Amino acid sequence: MTKKTRRNIYRTARLTAFYIFVSGVTIAMLLPLYFIVSLSFLSTREAYRYPLPLLPALNVEYKLTHGERGYLLSVYDPIDKEYQTVLDTGDLEKMSVYMKSQLGAPMSVPEIEQQIARLEHEAPVFFTRRKSLLYNYETFFKVAGTGQAVPALIRSLEICAMTIAISLTIGGMAGYAFARYTFRGRDALKFSVLFVRMFPGVAIAMPMVIILVNMGFYDAPIGLSLVYSVGSIALTIWITASIFMGIPVSLEEAAQVFGATKIQAFLRVTLPLSLPGLAACAMYAFLGAWNETVAAIILTQFNPTFSVVVYQTVLGAVGQVNLAAAGGMVMALPAVIFTFFIRRYIHQMWGGVTV
Amino acid sequence: MTKKQWKKLGEQAVPYLLILPVVVYYAAFWLRPVLISVIGSFTDAAGHLTLQNFAMVIHDEAFIPALRNTAVIVLFSVTLEFFVALFLALLINRKFVGASFFLFLAMIPMALPSAAAGAMWITGLTAHGWINSLLHYLGFLAKGKSIYWLAGSETSLLALLIVVDAWQVIPSVMIILLAGLQNIPEEMQEAGYVFGGNYLTVLRKITLPLLKPTIQTAVILRLISAIQIWLIVVILLGFSRLPVLVERIVYYHKEVRGLDISYQMAMGYTIIVAVIVSLVSLAYLQVSGAFKKERGEVA
Repeated sequence: MTKKTRRNIYRTARLTAFYIFVSGVTIAMLLPLYFIVSLSFLSTREAYRYPLPLLPALNVEYKLTHGERGYLLSVYDPIDKEYQTVLDTGDLEKMSVYMKSQLGAPMSVPEIEQQIARLEHEAPVFFTRRKSLLYNYETFFKVAGTGQAVPALIRSLEICAMTIAISLTIGGMAGYAFARYTFRGRDALKFSVLFVRMFPGVAIAMPMVIILVNMGFYDAPIGLSLVYSVGSIALTIWITASIFMGIPVSLEEAAQVFGATKIQAFLRVTLPLSLPGLAACAMYAFLGAWNETVAAIILTQFNPTFSVVVYQTVLGAVGQVNLAAAGGMVMALPAVIFTFFIRRYIHQMWGGVTV
Repeated sequence: MTKKQWKKLGEQAVPYLLILPVVVYYAAFWLRPVLISVIGSFTDAAGHLTLQNFAMVIHDEAFIPALRNTAVIVLFSVTLEFFVALFLALLINRKFVGASFFLFLAMIPMALPSAAAGAMWITGLTAHGWINSLLHYLGFLAKGKSIYWLAGSETSLLALLIVVDAWQVIPSVMIILLAGLQNIPEEMQEAGYVFGGNYLTVLRKITLPLLKPTIQTAVILRLISAIQIWLIVVILLGFSRLPVLVERIVYYHKEVRGLDISYQMAMGYTIIVAVIVSLVSLAYLQVSGAFKKERGEVA
């Protein structure tokens, strides 16, 4: 063997080891996530199995025969590799409900009757139905927080929208000032903003109870968005300041030479250029308001936010793992999607000066 | 004054007008609540100056355990997270195919809202949850057996919480440290090797000192959020089983509301958390050089 090939082998081995290592880390990171996704698609029957199935079934294979009390319904269990009896009843209505709520593969009474008709010629009868994978999600929105889930979702979106509006206008203006002007107290101000950002939200929420009750905003979306804006304004100031610093003043000046006013120059030149950054700020504000739980618990009573509804469902959900998982997924999805869009900014911020 | 002077004055006022809304907003919705809580915590119902509220909190039988549990979680989780993250960052610090995808995946645990993370772990840690199922499939658990993760002693529960927290946090600390590592010019480390250093000496004498600002940032940001841990504790163990500071605030404000002392207790705990976090934040601003006059422009 020449020296060169030996070196090549060594290098390949190192590279392989590296990729195995990276894959191991990735698996460790993703494994819990995989299970919450998978659990959210399990039917109630599957969720009560132990050990839990690693994959949600896509189809339910039914077997129907005559039973003592009417008809005997069995389903195929992919783990034990056998048909298991789940129901013995003559009440087709009951059978239909059971198929929907426990097995997640609904059949109407006439459809069941069709299969029963086949029983005349052959017994047992086998048939397969596609499982409705979103059944847990539908159920979650129907039952979570005693029907509060949908209003709470709408409320949370309102809160996010208001938080974005407040923090982009107020924070954006200040960010522009920090980027374009030098004035007394500039650095001190910029760092007090950072301090406000680090101050725990829960410490604002408690005394805000009194203030919001006086304003009539307690238990209302606007009250919460006022609290969430405290943190996201600070973040917006820091991000927009760095964005506006990255856009040369000379562009605005050029526009002014061609007869635009200062405000026109800003609206026509700087603003369009800063849109991607502003979008990132908006997503940050969204994430902050969407993910927050403790202030939402303190500042709401009869009108909870979506995160509070999920929290309550999960808290009381020892028996309903599939519903808890579905709720967690609904909560996680927007957060993960928006994080994907602003990942570059997060990297920058984590690698740069920080928040 | 002439028209020109007025115009000049107007232009000087522009930046102040632009930051006025922030100042007003923070005065109304940050400073005012902070003052209310500080004043409220030092006065009794009749408005006299008193330390009674704090005495009440300190005499709360869950106060010392809450403080201790929080301290243990913060200390061990931040230490563990930091060393594991540093180890991972040092190993992964190179360009490779799929690096940006890997970095995105590493952000997901941090991006997960705490309520969703709670759902993930409670479904895993129950006796018939996915963790036991996984152990069963991997052959570590006999059929029908299960481990009661949430029934252990206080120490084992704390360890469990630290591990759960570590899963969520290590990837993002790793990203921060990776970013820091990649900002270090390669020549510096190469110079270290040229002068005969081995990997460990280069790491100790060159890489880590250059990484110090990043490490400080990462650790202090972690401290701030670790102090405020509560939701995962409550979801896994319920209220009062393993008290932590912020859990006490929610407990007194929501779970035992209506008691005469509920609000004062919640407020007392709030102040304690706020003071601790503020001290850490100030320490951060100190080490990041925010108080130095001649600091350069920050990005």
